Amino acid sequence: MSDDNKPAVLPGDENAAAPSDEVVVAEPVDALDRLAMLELDNVSLSYHAKKKSFDHGTHHVLNQVSLQLYEGETLGIIGRNGVGKTTLLRLMAGILAPTLGKVHIHPGKSASLLTLGLGFKADLSGRDNALLAAMLQGSTRKQAKSFLPSIQEFSELGDSFYEPVKDYSSGMRARLAFTTALMTHVDILLVDEILSVGDAHFREKAETAMKSRITGGQTVVFVSHMAEQVKKLCDRVVWLDQGKVVSIGPAAEVVDAYTQHVKDARIAAREKNVVATS
Amino acid sequence: MPFLQYLRLADTMARMALRADAARYFLGYIWWVLEPLLWVGVFYLVFVVLLDSREPNFMIFLATGKLAFVWFSKTVSQAGNSIVNGKGLVGKISVPMTLFPMSVVQESLYRQIAVFIMLTALLVNDGYTITPTWWYLAPLIAVYYVLIVACSFIGACLVCIARDFAQLISLGVMFLLFMSGIFWDVRTLGDPEKTQLVLNLNPLCFILDAFRQIMMFNTPPDMVHLAAIGAGFGLLLLVMVVLMRVGAQYLALKALTA
Repeated sequence: MSDDNKPAVLPGDENAAAPSDEVVVAEPVDALDRLAMLELDNVSLSYHAKKKSFDHGTHHVLNQVSLQLYEGETLGIIGRNGVGKTTLLRLMAGILAPTLGKVHIHPGKSASLLTLGLGFKADLSGRDNALLAAMLQGSTRKQAKSFLPSIQEFSELGDSFYEPVKDYSSGMRARLAFTTALMTHVDILLVDEILSVGDAHFREKAETAMKSRITGGQTVVFVSHMAEQVKKLCDRVVWLDQGKVVSIGPAAEVVDAYTQHVKDARIAAREKNVVATS
Repeated sequence: MPFLQYLRLADTMARMALRADAARYFLGYIWWVLEPLLWVGVFYLVFVVLLDSREPNFMIFLATGKLAFVWFSKTVSQAGNSIVNGKGLVGKISVPMTLFPMSVVQESLYRQIAVFIMLTALLVNDGYTITPTWWYLAPLIAVYYVLIVACSFIGACLVCIARDFAQLISLGVMFLLFMSGIFWDVRTLGDPEKTQLVLNLNPLCFILDAFRQIMMFNTPPDMVHLAAIGAGFGLLLLVMVVLMRVGAQYLALKALTA
């Protein structure tokens, strides 16, 4: 892998045009001497949309994003809906390829996306769905079968585990989905909005389970809307806006700057509204 | 993903789809037999009762051709949409793109087994006997399977690149129904040269005719011709596997954004 000792990532060097007075430039010192598991080097992703509504039909999802992910750290990604968070995870997982730039993953390491509900089939039982999901995540049939009792137990589904998923409540579905996803064993875990599931009791349990993975040395990239959760779980945070990195740095700083920005934007919008209506 | 694990996964996906399908209908698995039975019933009504066909075994002739063709038509039309329909999975996990059409192929393979058993029962019931020549069905079915897999992979990619291909595939399957000698006998075209030309140009026509030759007329198929079809589509399949591996991320982007 290239530069382990690369200095802090400056958000988009020449293209820091995004909402940018609160750019945070800091890298926790301990990150510097750690192994870079995954590196995005000036990565852009755009595609041709059918409707010519964007830049001559080209939709820019990510724009020159650079960042490093170090071994054992938990990196958070925050930003509003549609700023490219999920696309960023898909690039990291190798599901998509960047239009420009490079995604380097440390040789021999694998990254996998942990998302809810791998295409649940409503007519099948929770057990069958769990089995299929585990296999889709790379387990053999035998391994997948051996996971089933612990999935049934952790998800607290009881005998409903053998009932069709279509008879589940949304909370039951969420519990099954989270538990199944938790079974993945990979070097880099990419987590997309999965801790906001179920009732308060299960959410706490899910968070604890995720925390124990994190403290167990797992490298994690974590996407969430919930600023507080990100602050609690992550070491460093990337703030994305309109496909660009606004800032990257210690979790507390970036999350606070982000919440402040969201608040300011809301106030600005309200004022604009008042002006418009008066 | 190791090849064996890949096959296991495709197979599990297929079984689950079948199980879900059976759970959805009141008659469940009975549909597997009921559907071909209804086809045969319609053939009987039209060609035996209404048209009073001159040829005594025309209904069996038709049933053999049609029920063998169903394997191709159902698989290819369904596999065409498989990657696009699997969009939810495509965006979440990085699995080989071929997995999606492959699980459809396995799914219809299981259904087709029931169809072939039904067809055999129909033939035996009509006085035909199972002879050692029927062993030729093994290589025939293997080659037919390779052809179906190759066509399914091609269709799945094309529909992923542009949805319009789904229309072309359903039209194409319908055209092949008329062009592959299901309602007419390729051997009674009058001109032997014309027969040979049709058999050479349309591999499906050759395969359907081979089913009839073996099952109805106790005649082995032209094995060289069969091997040539197998090699041709085997090569095509290999090319598709490589293309779909190299272009996996392109296909994923297409499936997710179109």
